[in-house]
Amino acid sequence: MIVAERKPLDEIKEMVKSYKKLLTVGCGGCTSICYTGGQREVGLLNEDLKNSLEKEGMATQPDSFTIERQCNADFYPELDEIARNYDALLSMACGAGVQFLADRYPEKPVFPALNTIFVGIDKDVGWFEENCRTCRECFIGETGGICPVTRCAKSLFNGPCGGTSREGKCEVSKDTPCAWYEIFKRLKDQGRLENILKVKPAREWKNQTRGTMIHEAYQKRYAK
Amino acid sequence: MNQTIPNQETKKVDTKKIKSLLNRRKGKMKRFLSYCAHCSLCAESCFLYMKYKKDPKYMPSYKVINSLGKLYKKRGNVDWKFLNEIKGIVWKNCVLCGRCYCPIGIHVPSMIAFARTIVRSQEVYPQLDEASPESWL
Repeated sequence: MIVAERKPLDEIKEMVKSYKKLLTVGCGGCTSICYTGGQREVGLLNEDLKNSLEKEGMATQPDSFTIERQCNADFYPELDEIARNYDALLSMACGAGVQFLADRYPEKPVFPALNTIFVGIDKDVGWFEENCRTCRECFIGETGGICPVTRCAKSLFNGPCGGTSREGKCEVSKDTPCAWYEIFKRLKDQGRLENILKVKPAREWKNQTRGTMIHEAYQKRYAK
Repeated sequence: MNQTIPNQETKKVDTKKIKSLLNRRKGKMKRFLSYCAHCSLCAESCFLYMKYKKDPKYMPSYKVINSLGKLYKKRGNVDWKFLNEIKGIVWKNCVLCGRCYCPIGIHVPSMIAFARTIVRSQEVYPQLDEASPESWL
Protein backbone atom coordinates (compact mmCIF):
# COMPACT_ATOMS: atom_id res chain seq x y z
CA MET A 1 0.00 0.00 0.00
CA ILE A 2 0.95 3.65 -0.29
CA VAL A 3 2.27 5.25 2.88
CA ALA A 4 2.08 8.97 3.57
CA GLU A 5 2.70 11.39 6.40
CA ARG A 6 1.06 14.66 7.33
CA LYS A 7 2.78 17.85 6.29
CA PRO A 8 3.80 20.29 9.02
CA LEU A 9 0.81 22.35 10.15
CA ASP A 10 2.49 25.64 9.21
CA GLU A 11 2.96 24.47 5.64
CA ILE A 12 -0.70 23.46 5.39
CA LYS A 13 -1.83 26.73 6.94
CA GLU A 14 0.22 28.72 4.49
CA MET A 15 -1.50 26.99 1.57
CA VAL A 16 -5.08 27.37 2.76
CA LYS A 17 -5.27 30.48 4.87
CA SER A 18 -6.52 32.75 2.11
CA TYR A 19 -9.64 30.62 1.53
CA LYS A 20 -12.66 31.15 3.70
CA LYS A 21 -14.58 27.95 3.01
CA LEU A 22 -12.26 24.99 3.04
CA LEU A 23 -13.18 21.32 2.70
CA THR A 24 -10.70 18.78 4.01
CA VAL A 25 -11.24 15.58 2.04
CA GLY A 26 -10.22 12.31 3.66
CA CYS A 27 -9.48 9.07 1.86
CA GLY A 28 -10.72 5.69 3.08
CA GLY A 29 -7.95 3.85 1.21
CA CYS A 30 -4.22 3.55 1.89
CA THR A 31 -3.80 6.78 3.83
CA SER A 32 -6.60 5.73 6.13
CA ILE A 33 -4.83 2.44 6.80
CA CYS A 34 -1.53 4.17 7.59
CA TYR A 35 -3.38 6.51 9.99
CA THR A 36 -2.64 9.74 8.15
CA GLY A 37 -5.60 10.55 5.92
CA GLY A 38 -8.72 8.75 7.18
CA GLN A 39 -11.82 10.22 8.75
CA ARG A 40 -10.24 10.43 12.19
CA GLU A 41 -7.13 12.18 10.89
CA VAL A 42 -9.28 14.63 8.92
CA GLY A 43 -10.99 15.54 12.20
CA LEU A 44 -7.69 15.97 14.00
CA LEU A 45 -6.22 18.15 11.25
CA ASN A 46 -9.31 20.34 11.13
CA GLU A 47 -9.15 20.82 14.91
CA ASP A 48 -5.50 21.85 14.65
CA LEU A 49 -6.22 24.15 11.72
CA LYS A 50 -9.22 25.76 13.39
CA ASN A 51 -7.37 26.44 16.64
CA SER A 52 -4.29 27.76 14.93
CA LEU A 53 -6.06 29.92 12.36
CA GLU A 54 -8.40 31.39 14.96
CA LYS A 55 -5.42 32.47 17.04
CA GLU A 56 -4.02 34.27 14.02
CA GLY A 57 -7.35 35.93 13.29
CA MET A 58 -7.91 34.12 9.99
CA ALA A 59 -11.43 33.48 8.78
CA THR A 60 -10.84 30.03 7.27
CA GLN A 61 -13.57 27.56 8.22
CA PRO A 62 -12.52 23.97 7.54
CA ASP A 63 -15.20 21.30 7.13
CA SER A 64 -14.62 17.65 6.45
CA PHE A 65 -15.78 14.82 4.24
CA THR A 66 -14.23 11.41 3.65
CA ILE A 67 -14.72 9.36 0.51
CA GLU A 68 -13.80 5.73 0.19
CA ARG A 69 -11.00 6.22 -2.31
CA GLN A 70 -9.78 9.41 -3.92
CA CYS A 71 -8.12 7.51 -6.79
CA ASN A 72 -11.35 6.06 -8.20
CA ALA A 73 -14.12 8.03 -9.92
CA ASP A 74 -16.78 5.59 -8.70
CA PHE A 75 -16.58 7.08 -5.22
CA TYR A 76 -16.89 10.74 -6.17
CA PRO A 77 -20.62 11.37 -6.75
CA GLU A 78 -21.33 12.17 -3.10
CA LEU A 79 -18.41 14.57 -2.95
CA ASP A 80 -19.49 16.30 -6.17
CA GLU A 81 -22.56 17.73 -4.47
CA ILE A 82 -20.62 18.93 -1.44
CA ALA A 83 -17.43 20.24 -3.07
CA ARG A 84 -19.22 22.92 -5.07
CA ASN A 85 -19.97 24.83 -1.85
CA TYR A 86 -16.31 25.36 -0.99
CA ASP A 87 -13.61 27.78 -2.09
CA ALA A 88 -10.77 25.24 -1.89
CA LEU A 89 -10.14 21.58 -1.16
CA LEU A 90 -7.47 20.13 1.09
CA SER A 91 -6.79 16.50 0.23
CA MET A 92 -5.60 13.89 2.69
CA ALA A 93 -4.89 11.28 0.02
CA CYS A 94 -1.62 10.24 -1.58
CA GLY A 95 -0.23 12.25 -4.51
CA ALA A 96 -2.27 10.18 -6.96
CA GLY A 97 -5.48 10.96 -5.09
CA VAL A 98 -4.72 14.68 -4.86
CA GLN A 99 -4.17 14.87 -8.62
CA PHE A 100 -7.34 12.94 -9.32
CA LEU A 101 -9.25 15.31 -7.07
CA ALA A 102 -7.72 18.32 -8.82
CA ASP A 103 -8.66 16.87 -12.24
CA ARG A 104 -12.21 16.25 -11.04
CA TYR A 105 -12.68 19.86 -9.91
CA PRO A 106 -10.42 21.88 -12.21
CA GLU A 107 -12.08 25.14 -11.16
CA LYS A 108 -11.14 24.65 -7.48
CA PRO A 109 -7.74 25.08 -5.89
CA VAL A 110 -6.71 21.70 -4.45
CA PHE A 111 -3.92 21.35 -1.88
CA PRO A 112 -2.12 18.32 -0.49
CA ALA A 113 -2.12 17.89 3.28
CA LEU A 114 0.19 14.87 3.11
CA ASN A 115 3.56 13.93 1.73
CA THR A 116 3.48 10.57 -0.02
CA ILE A 117 6.47 8.63 1.22
CA PHE A 118 6.62 5.15 -0.24
CA VAL A 119 5.04 1.85 -1.27
CA GLY A 120 5.36 -0.35 1.75
CA ILE A 121 4.13 -3.01 4.07
CA ASP A 122 2.47 -3.02 7.50
CA LYS A 123 5.20 -4.40 9.71
CA ASP A 124 3.13 -3.94 12.86
CA VAL A 125 0.44 -1.56 14.10
CA GLY A 126 1.64 1.90 13.11
CA TRP A 127 4.92 0.56 11.69
CA PHE A 128 5.37 0.72 7.93
CA GLU A 129 8.39 -0.11 5.83
CA GLU A 130 9.30 0.61 2.26
CA ASN A 131 9.78 -2.54 0.21
CA CYS A 132 9.32 -1.51 -3.40
CA ARG A 133 10.44 1.39 -5.60
CA THR A 134 8.11 0.34 -8.45
CA CYS A 135 11.07 0.12 -10.85
CA ARG A 136 8.94 -2.02 -13.23
CA GLU A 137 11.67 -4.63 -13.71
CA CYS A 138 11.26 -6.92 -10.73
CA PHE A 139 14.08 -9.41 -10.32
CA ILE A 140 13.73 -10.35 -6.67
CA GLY A 141 13.17 -13.96 -7.69
CA GLU A 142 16.94 -14.10 -8.10
CA THR A 143 17.73 -12.27 -4.89
CA GLY A 144 15.81 -14.39 -2.43
CA GLY A 145 12.79 -12.10 -2.35
CA ILE A 146 14.82 -9.14 -1.09
CA CYS A 147 14.91 -6.02 -3.24
CA PRO A 148 18.34 -4.38 -3.35
CA VAL A 149 16.94 -1.42 -5.28
CA THR A 150 14.85 -0.52 -2.23
CA ARG A 151 16.85 -1.90 0.63
CA CYS A 152 20.43 -1.10 -0.42
CA ALA A 153 21.39 2.53 0.26
CA LYS A 154 23.05 2.64 -3.17
CA SER A 155 20.44 0.51 -4.96
CA LEU A 156 23.21 -1.79 -6.15
CA PHE A 157 22.20 -4.58 -8.51
CA ASN A 158 25.25 -6.77 -8.57
CA GLY A 159 26.51 -7.44 -5.10
CA PRO A 160 27.45 -5.24 -2.16
CA CYS A 161 29.78 -2.28 -2.10
CA GLY A 162 32.79 -2.42 0.17
CA GLY A 163 30.96 -0.85 3.07
CA THR A 164 29.32 -3.87 4.69
CA SER A 165 30.38 -4.30 8.31
CA ARG A 166 31.32 -7.64 9.84
CA GLU A 167 27.91 -7.66 11.48
CA GLY A 168 26.21 -7.35 8.11
CA LYS A 169 25.22 -3.72 8.50
CA CYS A 170 25.30 -0.89 5.99
CA GLU A 171 28.03 1.73 6.16
CA VAL A 172 25.34 4.41 6.03
CA SER A 173 23.97 3.40 9.42
CA LYS A 174 24.76 0.69 11.94
CA ASP A 175 21.03 0.11 12.34
CA THR A 176 20.46 -0.61 8.66
CA PRO A 177 21.01 -4.18 7.52
CA CYS A 178 23.06 -4.54 4.34
CA ALA A 179 20.60 -5.71 1.69
CA TRP A 180 23.23 -7.81 -0.05
CA TYR A 181 24.26 -9.47 3.19
CA GLU A 182 20.59 -10.35 3.75
CA ILE A 183 20.36 -11.67 0.18
CA PHE A 184 23.50 -13.77 0.69
CA LYS A 185 22.10 -15.29 3.89
CA ARG A 186 18.70 -16.02 2.33
CA LEU A 187 20.12 -17.61 -0.82
CA LYS A 188 22.62 -19.64 1.22
CA ASP A 189 19.83 -20.97 3.44
CA GLN A 190 17.84 -21.89 0.35
CA GLY A 191 20.82 -23.57 -1.35
CA ARG A 192 20.64 -21.10 -4.26
CA LEU A 193 23.84 -19.20 -3.69
CA GLU A 194 24.85 -19.54 -7.34
CA ASN A 195 22.18 -16.89 -8.10
CA ILE A 196 24.34 -14.24 -6.51
CA LEU A 197 26.98 -14.73 -9.18
CA LYS A 198 24.62 -13.99 -12.05
CA VAL A 199 25.45 -10.58 -13.45
CA LYS A 200 22.32 -8.57 -14.02
CA PRO A 201 22.27 -6.16 -16.95
CA ALA A 202 21.82 -2.46 -16.35
CA ARG A 203 18.23 -1.50 -15.56
CA GLU A 204 16.21 0.82 -17.74
CA TRP A 205 14.76 2.80 -14.82
CA LYS A 206 11.40 2.77 -16.52
CA ASN A 207 9.79 4.49 -13.57
CA GLN A 208 11.37 7.75 -14.66
CA THR A 209 8.53 8.13 -17.15
CA ARG A 210 4.83 8.26 -16.38
CA GLY A 211 3.24 4.83 -16.38
CA THR A 212 -0.01 3.68 -17.95
CA MET A 213 -1.19 0.11 -17.85
CA ILE A 214 -4.20 -1.30 -19.63
CA HIS A 215 -4.93 -4.88 -18.75
CA GLU A 216 -4.68 -7.24 -21.70
CA ALA A 217 -8.35 -8.18 -21.44
CA TYR A 218 -9.37 -4.51 -21.75
CA GLN A 219 -7.11 -3.42 -24.59
CA LYS A 220 -9.85 -3.71 -27.19
CA ARG A 221 -12.18 -1.56 -25.12
CA TYR A 222 -9.70 1.31 -24.88
CA ALA A 223 -8.17 1.00 -28.35
CA LYS A 224 -7.99 4.36 -30.13
CA MET B 1 -4.32 8.93 19.35
CA ASN B 2 -7.61 10.58 20.05
CA GLN B 3 -10.76 8.54 19.86
CA THR B 4 -13.37 10.23 17.69
CA ILE B 5 -16.13 7.65 17.94
CA PRO B 6 -18.80 9.39 19.98
CA ASN B 7 -19.88 8.14 23.33
CA GLN B 8 -22.71 5.99 22.11
CA GLU B 9 -24.46 5.91 25.47
CA THR B 10 -24.87 9.66 25.62
CA LYS B 11 -24.92 10.83 22.01
CA LYS B 12 -28.02 10.25 19.93
CA VAL B 13 -27.94 8.97 16.39
CA ASP B 14 -28.58 11.93 14.10
CA THR B 15 -31.40 10.30 12.16
CA LYS B 16 -32.23 13.60 10.49
CA LYS B 17 -28.83 13.64 8.87
CA ILE B 18 -29.15 9.99 7.84
CA LYS B 19 -32.56 10.67 6.30
CA SER B 20 -31.25 13.64 4.39
CA LEU B 21 -28.35 11.57 3.03
CA LEU B 22 -30.69 8.74 2.07
CA ASN B 23 -33.00 11.15 0.27
CA ARG B 24 -30.15 12.74 -1.62
CA ARG B 25 -29.52 9.58 -3.67
CA LYS B 26 -32.88 7.93 -3.18
CA GLY B 27 -33.82 7.60 -6.84
CA LYS B 28 -30.75 5.79 -8.04
CA MET B 29 -30.19 3.67 -4.93
CA LYS B 30 -33.78 2.51 -4.57
CA ARG B 31 -33.84 1.70 -8.26
CA PHE B 32 -30.71 -0.42 -7.86
CA LEU B 33 -32.24 -2.16 -4.83
CA SER B 34 -35.46 -2.94 -6.66
CA TYR B 35 -33.65 -4.20 -9.77
CA CYS B 36 -31.87 -6.96 -7.84
CA ALA B 37 -33.38 -10.22 -9.11
CA HIS B 38 -31.63 -12.31 -6.43
CA CYS B 39 -30.01 -14.32 -9.21
CA SER B 40 -26.81 -14.66 -7.11
CA LEU B 41 -24.65 -14.29 -10.21
CA CYS B 42 -22.69 -11.59 -8.38
CA ALA B 43 -21.62 -14.09 -5.72
CA GLU B 44 -18.70 -15.75 -7.44
CA SER B 45 -17.23 -12.46 -8.60
CA CYS B 46 -16.51 -11.65 -4.93
CA PHE B 47 -13.14 -12.98 -3.85
CA LEU B 48 -14.18 -12.90 -0.19
CA TYR B 49 -17.20 -15.09 -0.97
CA MET B 50 -14.91 -17.59 -2.66
CA LYS B 51 -12.29 -17.37 0.08
CA TYR B 52 -14.82 -17.99 2.85
CA LYS B 53 -16.12 -21.18 1.27
CA LYS B 54 -19.09 -19.54 -0.41
CA ASP B 55 -20.53 -18.22 2.83
CA PRO B 56 -23.71 -16.39 1.68
CA LYS B 57 -23.04 -13.41 3.95
CA TYR B 58 -20.20 -12.44 1.61
CA MET B 59 -22.44 -12.31 -1.46
CA PRO B 60 -22.43 -8.75 -2.83
CA SER B 61 -26.24 -8.73 -3.01
CA TYR B 62 -26.52 -9.88 0.62
CA LYS B 63 -24.16 -7.13 1.73
CA VAL B 64 -26.09 -4.41 -0.08
CA ILE B 65 -29.54 -5.58 0.97
CA ASN B 66 -28.49 -5.89 4.61
CA SER B 67 -26.80 -2.52 4.79
CA LEU B 68 -28.18 0.10 2.44
CA GLY B 69 -31.37 -1.87 1.81
CA LYS B 70 -32.19 -1.96 5.51
CA LEU B 71 -31.33 1.71 5.92
CA TYR B 72 -33.94 2.56 3.30
CA LYS B 73 -36.40 0.06 4.71
CA LYS B 74 -36.11 1.62 8.16
CA ARG B 75 -36.20 5.10 6.56
CA GLY B 76 -33.11 6.06 8.49
CA ASN B 77 -34.66 5.39 11.89
CA VAL B 78 -31.76 3.39 13.24
CA ASP B 79 -29.78 3.06 16.47
CA TRP B 80 -26.10 2.61 17.33
CA LYS B 81 -26.42 -1.16 17.44
CA PHE B 82 -27.72 -1.21 13.90
CA LEU B 83 -25.01 1.16 12.65
CA ASN B 84 -22.34 -1.05 14.19
CA GLU B 85 -23.87 -4.10 12.51
CA ILE B 86 -23.69 -2.32 9.18
CA LYS B 87 -20.13 -1.27 9.93
CA GLY B 88 -19.18 -4.94 10.04
CA ILE B 89 -20.90 -5.66 6.74
CA VAL B 90 -19.57 -2.71 4.75
CA TRP B 91 -16.01 -2.70 6.07
CA LYS B 92 -15.21 -6.19 7.30
CA ASN B 93 -17.12 -8.20 4.71
CA CYS B 94 -16.31 -5.91 1.77
CA VAL B 95 -13.00 -4.30 0.83
CA LEU B 96 -14.55 -2.26 -1.99
CA CYS B 97 -12.25 -3.78 -4.60
CA GLY B 98 -14.94 -2.96 -7.16
CA ARG B 99 -14.73 -6.32 -8.91
CA CYS B 100 -18.29 -7.51 -8.23
CA TYR B 101 -20.27 -8.14 -11.38
CA CYS B 102 -24.01 -7.77 -11.84
CA PRO B 103 -25.56 -8.92 -15.14
CA ILE B 104 -28.36 -6.37 -14.74
CA GLY B 105 -25.88 -3.55 -14.27
CA ILE B 106 -26.40 -2.72 -10.60
CA HIS B 107 -23.31 -0.92 -9.38
CA VAL B 108 -22.71 -2.65 -6.07
CA PRO B 109 -19.53 -0.75 -5.06
CA SER B 110 -21.28 2.62 -5.22
CA MET B 111 -24.02 1.26 -2.96
CA ILE B 112 -21.57 -0.08 -0.40
CA ALA B 113 -19.64 3.20 -0.57
CA PHE B 114 -22.87 5.09 0.02
CA ALA B 115 -23.71 2.89 3.02
CA ARG B 116 -20.23 3.68 4.36
CA THR B 117 -20.86 7.40 3.89
CA ILE B 118 -24.05 7.15 5.92
CA VAL B 119 -22.34 5.23 8.71
CA ARG B 120 -19.39 7.65 8.60
CA SER B 121 -21.80 10.57 9.01
CA GLN B 122 -22.38 9.30 12.56
CA GLU B 123 -18.62 9.01 13.19
CA VAL B 124 -18.82 5.22 13.02
CA TYR B 125 -15.94 3.68 11.09
CA PRO B 126 -13.20 1.13 11.74
CA GLN B 127 -10.50 2.11 14.22
CA LEU B 128 -7.76 0.01 12.74
CA ASP B 129 -5.18 0.59 15.44
CA GLU B 130 -7.36 -0.12 18.41
CA ALA B 131 -8.02 -3.53 19.87
CA SER B 132 -11.68 -3.94 20.68
CA PRO B 133 -14.09 -6.86 20.88
CA GLU B 134 -15.37 -5.94 17.45
CA SER B 135 -11.90 -5.51 15.95
CA TRP B 136 -11.40 -7.75 12.95
CA LEU B 137 -7.71 -7.19 12.46
